[in-house]
This record gives sequence, C-alpha cells and structure tokens, in this order.
Amino acid sequence: MILALALAIAVLFGSGAFLLLKRDLIRMVGGVILMSNAVNLFIVAAGLGRGREPIYPLPPGRQVSDPVVQALVLTAIVIGFGTVAVVLGLLYRSYTARRARDAALASPPEEATPLMEPPVDGAVE
Amino acid sequence: MLLLPLAITWFAALALAPLDGRRRAVGAAAVAALAAAYLALVWLAVRVLTDGPVEMIAGGWGPGIGIRLRADALGITFALLSLAVLVAALAFEVLGGVHERSLPELVLFMATGLTGLFLTADIFNFYVFFEVAMISSFILASYGKEVRHLRAALTFTVVNLLGSVVFLSGVTGLYHVTGTLDMDGVAQRIDEAPDGSVLLIAVLIFVAFGLKLGLFPFHSWVAPVYRDAWPAVAAMLSAALANIGSYGLLRFGAGLMPQELGLTATGVILLGSLSILYGGLQAVSARSASEVIAWSSIGQVGYILVALGIGGPIGLSAAILFTMVNALNKLVLFLAIGLRGWLVGATFALAAFSVAGVPPSAGFFGKVAVFRAGEASGHAALLALIVVGGALSLLYMFQVYQREYWARPTKAPPSPLAPRLLVFALAIGIVAIGVWPEPLLALSGRAAAVLSGGG
Repeated sequence: MILALALAIAVLFGSGAFLLLKRDLIRMVGGVILMSNAVNLFIVAAGLGRGREPIYPLPPGRQVSDPVVQALVLTAIVIGFGTVAVVLGLLYRSYTARRARDAALASPPEEATPLMEPPVDGAVE
Repeated sequence: MLLLPLAITWFAALALAPLDGRRRAVGAAAVAALAAAYLALVWLAVRVLTDGPVEMIAGGWGPGIGIRLRADALGITFALLSLAVLVAALAFEVLGGVHERSLPELVLFMATGLTGLFLTADIFNFYVFFEVAMISSFILASYGKEVRHLRAALTFTVVNLLGSVVFLSGVTGLYHVTGTLDMDGVAQRIDEAPDGSVLLIAVLIFVAFGLKLGLFPFHSWVAPVYRDAWPAVAAMLSAALANIGSYGLLRFGAGLMPQELGLTATGVILLGSLSILYGGLQAVSARSASEVIAWSSIGQVGYILVALGIGGPIGLSAAILFTMVNALNKLVLFLAIGLRGWLVGATFALAAFSVAGVPPSAGFFGKVAVFRAGEASGHAALLALIVVGGALSLLYMFQVYQREYWARPTKAPPSPLAPRLLVFALAIGIVAIGVWPEPLLALSGRAAAVLSGGG
C-alpha cells in the first residue's frame, strides 16, 4: 500500500512538473492541479496507519488511524482549489488580453501594450 | 487581544471587497484600517517586549489540542516591519490614484495573511496564512494596465505555487516525523526523529523559503517579475512578502531545526556568498532601473543568508537587522523609480546610499552587523566578500542614478506632489534610523534571543 501510494504520488508530481514547464498556459494550469493533488495524497500518506477508521465511538483496544491528516488534507484541498481558480482567472485575463494562449514568458518585454479594458461594473469617479 | 490586528485587517478587507477601490474614500478607508491594525500591533509589541510572549489557543481548546497563536519578539518584529511597508505602499498608491477596484482589499488580505503567519505557533496554520498572503499577492502582481504586468503575475504565480507545494510537503514531513504541528512540540521532538528524513525535510523547507526570498539558485523569477510589476506592487512584493522567506528560514531553520542548520551552515554561507556576487554583478550589467534593483535584491538577501549561516546570537540578530534595513531600502527604491520630478532624485540617492551602506543611513548598520558576524566567524574571505558586495552595490546604484537622473532629459511630466513627499519622508526615515539606530538594534537583539533562547 505504501509503495502504491509512493508510486502514485511520484507519477502525479512528475507529470505535474512536466506540464508546468510547458509554454502552453492551459497545460501549465493542469500541472498546477496535478502537483497540488500529489501533495494532498502525500498528506494522506503521512498519516497512514494500520488501524480502523477514526470514527466515534472508538473500538476499545484497537488502533485507529490518525484523524488529523484528514483535517489537514481537507484544508489543503480547499486552498489548492482556490489557487487554481485564481490561476484560471489570470489565464483568462491573459487570454482576453493577447488572444493567444502561450505565455511567451521568455520574450522581451514590449512597450506599453494596453490590456483590453475589463467590463466596468459600478460607477467610477 | 492577539487577534485584534488580524481581525481589523480581515473585517476591513471583507467590508471593502464589494466597494470600488478606485474611489478615493475606499482607498483612504483601507489605509485607515491598516493604520489601526498597525497601532494594535504596536500595542501588542509593547506588551510582548515588556512582559514576554503573549499566547492564546484558538477556540478555547486545551493546550496541545487547539491551534496556538503566539506573539514573541521575533514574530512581532517581522509583523511590524511588513505592515509598515504595506501601509506606506498602499498610502503611496492611494495618493497617486488607484486604477483597479480590487487593490485596497487585496492589500488588506495580504496584511491579514502576513500578520497571521508571523503570529502563529502552529506549522500548518503558518501554511494557511502563507497561502492567504500568497493568493492575494498573485492577484496584486497583475495590477497594472499593460500586458507586461500580467506576464509578471503569471511568472510570479507559477514559481510561487511551486514553492507552496514544496513547503506543504515539508510541513507534512515534519508532522509525520514528530506527530505534532505545534512549533514548540516539533522543536522538542525533532531530535528523536531519524536524521536522514529530518535533513530531507530541512532541504525542502529551505528550497521553499529560498524561492520566496529569491536566493541565488532559485532567483530566476525575481528579475522579470520585479522589472515588469507596477512599482508600488513591486515594493509590496519585495519589501513585505519576501520577509516570509527570511522569517521562515529563521523560524524553521534556527528555531525548529538548529542541528540541521548547523550541519549545512557551510553550504548556506556558500549560497549566500554566491547570491551576493551573482546579484551584484548582474545588477552592474543590467540596463533599466527596476531591473538593477531586482538583481540588487538577490544580492542583498545573500547577506541575510550569510548571517544566518554564521548563526549564534550575533549572526541571527544581524540577519534580522539586515532584513529590516533591506526591506526599507527596497520600499523606497521601488516607489521612487515610478516617479518623476523634483525631490525624486534626492529620495533615490538617500535610499541608494543606504543600500551601499554609506553612513549615516540604516544600511550602514545592517552592513556593520553582518560584518561583525563575519568577524565572529573568523573567515577573512567572508569579510572580503562583504566589502566587495558593498563596492558593487555602490557602483550599480550610482549607474542607475547617472542614467535616470543625470543623463536622461526629463520629458515626462512630474508626478503628483503628495506621493513624492511621502517617499521623500520615508527616505528621511531611513537616514533617521541611521542616526539613531539603537531601537532597531535592540529589537533585532531581542528577536534573535527568541531563537537562541530555545523558544
């Protein structure tokens, strides 16, 4: 079980890192998602015990697995989800701004290309 | 009471979120809220420095169960520094005119995250506040009107997400080997854990904070991001957010895993030295002012790392003092390069002399502290390196001054007077600290005592 988890984490993290290095922004976000899930799995694996599920009432005399990691992984999943949402938002702005998906991160900075104006909601002074 | 600064910024951020941040009143309200949180923090700092650390356990749980928040001299020093930077940068942007509706509340959320992570005594809670600060900074980095700001945000986001992932693995590893998330508990039980796995965890955490700080092998994102970001945002990222890196290295390295830090001290000093030289040389050859400052920041964090590697009360207090001085320098430099007109050149010159370590400026005392630490370590090469780094910084700062304020005819119309006066006042503040450095020296000494005192 530990070996299987270790392999799964390694494969997830490796594919995530591979995708993260792509120029294509959609693949980059895919890489972010895979890597954050690899870490989530790592958190679960950190509390892997050979015991029963930690549900009250606890069976007397038997080991239960660590319940804290489940709380941690829940928090980590929520944070990871929020981060992916923010990255997708940035990606969408970049998409509307350039009408192209590749980041062109390595290209030299061009001078003052105005972004497309985002829709104005609410009154502006 | 511990929660007051956090509560003020968080509730203010929530209250301002639906409002249009481009309105002057909203911006002013955000500055007022930050200033109020800062006052609460000062009050807390006075209590911490007179009566010792203030602690509370969230939710009224018993000790060892609930999440512990703790304000000690180290945390409160970093919180005071980072919040001061945010207040100044936000006030600067509000005076100059905000042009995106989400800026004020994002700065408030970032303030919440930063204050929280400096005042927590729980490693997972540290990660949560870290992410609060990071997510707001991802959006802040895209602030601006041009494509290059967006590109800065994308680079910044991707690299720092990688850092967060690595850091979370390190936190998980610490929990796995010690069975606790409480910092004191981790520090006590880390000796019983197998050495190999602790060293691996220490490396993971070092990489994560090194990325955050922009150290030599992890620096690749620093120059493009600080070059392309909006000046006030670059100031916030480099002078407030990057403090996470040095705080993390101090707290996790010197506080939780002192043995591992001692074991790798030579490597840490070596990386710091490479950072100083590489950043300095790149800064000399860089063209635009913001790029020079970005490379310079890579060089300057090298000093922090060297001081950390030397360790002991002298080294740690030097690292803390240098972090404070460096943050103030970066704040003034990044704000000043966005401006044009009368007083700006003088402002830049004052901050540039501080970076180079010319007395009487705050930077002089930062350099002296690192120099003393180098002297204590007894390596002549280290002292030579610090001198060479200082000479390089004088050279590149003078180059920028020459190009920006002497050689270039000012065709651009001068910026509004209020932001210029604000930045000039900040630069005067740097000189004032240089003239009267005792409070800062005492504060860094107290903060370092937290680490070497084993708490």
